[in-house]
Amino acid sequence: MGAIPAVAIVVVLFTGAMVGAAWTSVHPGAIVGGSLGAGAWREVLADPAFRRALAFTLWLAVASTALAVPAALALAVAVRRSSLARLGVAAPVPVPHLVVAALAVLWLGPGGLADRLLGGLPVELVGDRAGVGIILTYLYKEAPFLALIVLAAWDRATDDLLEAAAAFGAGPVRRTLDVLVPRVAPALALGAAVVAAFVVGATEVPLLVGSSGRDTLATHSLDLTRLGGPAARAQAAAVLLVAGALAAALVVPVALLARRFRP
Amino acid sequence: MTRRFAAGALVVPLLALVLQAAADQWTGAAVVPQRLGARGWRAVVDDPLVGRAIVNSAVVAGLALALALPPAWLAARALHETAGRARAALVAVLLAPLIVPQLAVGTGLTTWLLRLGLADTLFGVALAHLVYVLPYVVVALATAFTPELRAREEAAAVLGAAPLLRFRTVTLPACLPALALGVALGFAVSWSQYGTSLAAGGGLPMLPLVTVPFVRADPQVGAALVLVLVAPALVIAGAAVLLSPRTPAPTPEVP
Repeated sequence: MGAIPAVAIVVVLFTGAMVGAAWTSVHPGAIVGGSLGAGAWREVLADPAFRRALAFTLWLAVASTALAVPAALALAVAVRRSSLARLGVAAPVPVPHLVVAALAVLWLGPGGLADRLLGGLPVELVGDRAGVGIILTYLYKEAPFLALIVLAAWDRATDDLLEAAAAFGAGPVRRTLDVLVPRVAPALALGAAVVAAFVVGATEVPLLVGSSGRDTLATHSLDLTRLGGPAARAQAAAVLLVAGALAAALVVPVALLARRFRP
Repeated sequence: MTRRFAAGALVVPLLALVLQAAADQWTGAAVVPQRLGARGWRAVVDDPLVGRAIVNSAVVAGLALALALPPAWLAARALHETAGRARAALVAVLLAPLIVPQLAVGTGLTTWLLRLGLADTLFGVALAHLVYVLPYVVVALATAFTPELRAREEAAAVLGAAPLLRFRTVTLPACLPALALGVALGFAVSWSQYGTSLAAGGGLPMLPLVTVPFVRADPQVGAALVLVLVAPALVIAGAAVLLSPRTPAPTPEVP
């Protein structure tokens, strides 16, 4: 009973938002009196720029998550015993993505701190077409988040199993892969899915660190919105709904599986 | 050594912001600024648009927090009174908005805010922020409602304490750290919302929106603005340091 007000707020605002976005996408100019139709969706799905943005978004999500997961495991193993080091690792977690993106520009951009300290970076990382700068930014932000998830799932029983594996002569890598990973896999998989979903819909990092020539779904929708007019707004809403559906498709199955396989 | 590197590699980049914000002159390949000064901070203080953005963001964060706290308190309590599938369903519903792009939520809500006459108003933006603030506040408050607290509340009830007295003398003191965390976290989430502010706020100046153009165009002012933007997160991190146990975790080094 006590949860009803919060659930009502979430359901009304969140469902309202999704319905509103869907309505905007099929009813361009709803506010000023337009007509219903799937024209915006047809335009979007036939648009090569949308397909490029979708492919680039998926690349960023997969690459960022694939790098963040092993980095998180390594971080968790490294800081496991020190509460101070844990706090250091946890430091970027509450830092907003916009701030981390600004840090990336400050450090990795032309004339940035990395340029000054190293006397010039061998590669361009801010605004690069492959999105390496964006991926590194997400790695910096999301690896600590996933490391905290690993540490939260790392219980006494995991320690006992790791000790037993060590007694049988398993090395650090073997212990991590054969003991730690299976123990934390459900929580880590869900965390990784959340990271991938976030990357799919995030605006700030690609906006600041990305290349103006290569859009993600979010920045593509922003470009459409900037064009102005009901038709462009309807297309922007359709693009954002695709991003939202993709994010949900990444998280929901993993959440269901993680619940089933929790140790 | 590995631990120091891991922690240092994540904290040091944040400190560089302070240097950049104070770098009045930093040209060429110089590793340190040629001249330190307050140009960046003066721009933050003197620019009326930035000032309005900071006030707007503070008002919106306060509004979103005020709207989030009462239902979040009740929901956090309810989470500890439910179990199994019902609890999993409750958590899923409350956290569902977090996986959907902010820009999508903001764009969708704008349709209704326009109809209600709330588009481009601080209250409208606060409603959009509430979608993301509420789950975080619930998660923070949920850490307070432990079985121990419930046992203490029941003991107070058995001893004849009325509900209000129980709340004032048992529940509230026990929940204060989680409440403080919830307030800080909720404020920080709203304070830094970019996507929802952009979509639902329209032309309203908000701190994240005015920060973005400066980051590439004027790094010194951008760094000062980013420090303002990161301040609530630093408060949370500072509180975590102060409240964290001083002793290392009593577990062997593995693997």
